Amino acid sequence: MAIRVTLDRILLDRRMSLTDLSERVGVTLANLSILKTGKAKAIRFSTLNALCRVLECQPGELLSYEPSESDVVEEAADKAAE
Amino acid sequence: MKALGKGSIAAIVEAGLGIARVVLWALIGLWAAAFVAYLAFVVLMGAGALDPSLAELGNGESLRVRILGGDGAAIENVRWTDWHLILPALLIAGVGIGGALIIVTQLRLMFLSFRSGEPFRRENANHLRVIWITMVVIELSRYVLMGLTAALLYHVRDPSVTAISLSIDGERLSTWGSILILIVLAEVFREGARLKEEQELTI
Repeated sequence: MAIRVTLDRILLDRRMSLTDLSERVGVTLANLSILKTGKAKAIRFSTLNALCRVLECQPGELLSYEPSESDVVEEAADKAAE
Repeated sequence: MKALGKGSIAAIVEAGLGIARVVLWALIGLWAAAFVAYLAFVVLMGAGALDPSLAELGNGESLRVRILGGDGAAIENVRWTDWHLILPALLIAGVGIGGALIIVTQLRLMFLSFRSGEPFRRENANHLRVIWITMVVIELSRYVLMGLTAALLYHVRDPSVTAISLSIDGERLSTWGSILILIVLAEVFREGARLKEEQELTI
């Protein structure tokens, strides 16, 4: 997945544990772990909203895009098709 | 009565399929015994080790064999030594029983997951795929073995048979229709399982 969740870095900056965040956001620890480890397939706007509210950040600070190998191959294929 | 979960219709069907599976295993055993016994009979009869009167079916009764139903060629007075008729028939029975066992086993696995209340699993899509592939194999095997029987009849047993027609009747067409439905259903289950996984990993 090319989209990475930078939750661990923000938590470190805020000196907040995942358990604290779980209690304040109302998302289970298990689901936050899935999000933090990059296993999540999608994130609801309501979850993103709650995370941004509690962590006092913008959605862009929580997510970053790092092209994976498949993205690079796909992009090359698109360019070749053009 | 609920459709999924414990004590549901799915649980009852699953229990019934469990019984059917045991019966089919017993039939497989009987079929294997009959097949081996018949091969031994043909070999011994060919070697002249058995009384030729054993080749008669019952009290001289005639056995009417129809090829693929309808108004196909009819052969009378089949004898036990007519291996070119009986062996393909045994093989068709074997393919049918074996196929039924595979289908019942796969259905039972599916209903086990229905009983646990989770129908949309990738395994279920795979079970459905195995079922439709098995049905295709059974149907094709039936055609091949029927064709083999017809060819053997034509060349070995009865020179008076001048033509044998092979036809696909309505029942067989409905089987192919069922296969198409199963192919679609397998893909529906695969997509359902994918959506469920995605939903589970949506935070």
